[in-house]
Amino acid sequence: MNGISQSGMSHLLEQLYENSTEAIFFFSLEGSVLSMNKAAEQILDPQVTQLMQSGSTDAICMACKGFTSDEEEQTCISCYMSDPNRNIPSFQVFLETVGRGIVPYTGSIQMIDAEQGIRVFMLRDLTEQFKTSESLHQKTLVKRVIKAQEDERKRISRELHDSVAQEMLSSLVDLRVLKYMNVEDEVLKKVRQTEGSLMRLLDDIRHLSVQLRPATLDDLGLEAAFRTHFKWTEKNYGLLVHFKSNTHSQRFEGEIETVVYRVCQEAVFNALKYADVEEVDVELLLSPDELTLTVRDSGVGFDSNAPTYKGTGLGLFGMKERAELVDATLTVQTGIGNGTTIILTVPLKKEETDIENNHRG
Amino acid sequence: MEGQSAFNYQEQVEEIRLAMACDFVALALVQPEERHFQIRWEYASGNLSQRFRRIVLHSGKGVAGIVFKTGKPMYVPDAQKYYKKEDLYNYPILIAEELESFAAIPLFKYNRVKGILLAGCRKKNCMSFEKFELLKSLVAPTFGPYYSEELTGN
Repeated sequence: MNGISQSGMSHLLEQLYENSTEAIFFFSLEGSVLSMNKAAEQILDPQVTQLMQSGSTDAICMACKGFTSDEEEQTCISCYMSDPNRNIPSFQVFLETVGRGIVPYTGSIQMIDAEQGIRVFMLRDLTEQFKTSESLHQKTLVKRVIKAQEDERKRISRELHDSVAQEMLSSLVDLRVLKYMNVEDEVLKKVRQTEGSLMRLLDDIRHLSVQLRPATLDDLGLEAAFRTHFKWTEKNYGLLVHFKSNTHSQRFEGEIETVVYRVCQEAVFNALKYADVEEVDVELLLSPDELTLTVRDSGVGFDSNAPTYKGTGLGLFGMKERAELVDATLTVQTGIGNGTTIILTVPLKKEETDIENNHRG
Repeated sequence: MEGQSAFNYQEQVEEIRLAMACDFVALALVQPEERHFQIRWEYASGNLSQRFRRIVLHSGKGVAGIVFKTGKPMYVPDAQKYYKKEDLYNYPILIAEELESFAAIPLFKYNRVKGILLAGCRKKNCMSFEKFELLKSLVAPTFGPYYSEELTGN
């Protein structure tokens, strides 16, 4: 503050007024525009600017699309301009702009010269901040949805495995007892068929439970869960997965195991659905401070800059979101005709690599 | 089991493919109870690769699994219209053999589906309704130990 003369200060203020990206308007007591800076002229329609400069008292209303009150997002009720003695340090206001449509701004209005009733109205562009907070909001939401989905799958899977399948098994045992009773051949044959159907049903329930979320993942860890899953993809889809791992069935934090498993599942599924291949390579490599998952196919690939979505387009997005849950990085290397490689690198905290059994939660 | 050894499935499958003038014919058999009624494509003619041998289906899964579960024949002149593209991977035989049109019929033994016979082409609309009828007639009334219709009554 020291050393700036009166004239220096006015120079600075003048510079601020001229060069600021914030739109600044000076209003008279009657509501006509006394002056507006370049930034203000740039955002408003030239016609509105002209009206303002000609001294019209409600020209601002042509551009203003209302402000946000407690009740409504865009309203004119108790307009910020209506009471000259009310200073509002910040409120959200929507303006019709040239070329950009209706844009949200943070506005502030305050009396700066009470004697002559001059007020200043300033506008700050909020779109960037809006976008940032919206994408942040979206990301947290997606993460919560992923977590909720995983928990729900876990619950239903356990329920099917522990309760429905068990009940089914005990009825199967009951039915088998029937075979050793003194029954006619015809009945015996029917009992055998029913036993077969029940067994099939039991198998179906078990498969459903594993598909939702493999209990192997919680009980035996990544490597075992992967081996089971790849055997399943081979049988169900005829897709051969070559799996290599140096983790020696080591366990990791529950969340990490879930993320790695799901990302791999999605990547292999993508290869199956879209890459047009019969074989996929999967590698799970452990180094002292990182766990790296690589899923490689030599299929049709895609243009990563301009992907044409054959599915929902959510798969890749979901993988990235999942990766972020454990601060992992996901890299997709691909090109048309070059196959696709997906690399997931999960950082391991030192103490976590020693933890043996903390996934039951 | 007697009589079965004399019946050469591979030869039969090849003959059906010639008679039908289509690209691919395969016979899937339902495994016995000890093997959880898994369904495998055992005999094939005109196959592009050996991928079909890896496929093991359960009731309700894949083309053979659906025919097994419903006991009804399937007639699909245009697979692209019949299935959504995103669902197609659930029918691995269609992908492995690039089938665009096909028909599949159940084969019975003791009133249970024991086998599934599939005939398909790599061109759409190649499997005409006449060919579908021909396929049914080729295995009627019996195909080896199997018969082509579910026996109702005696």
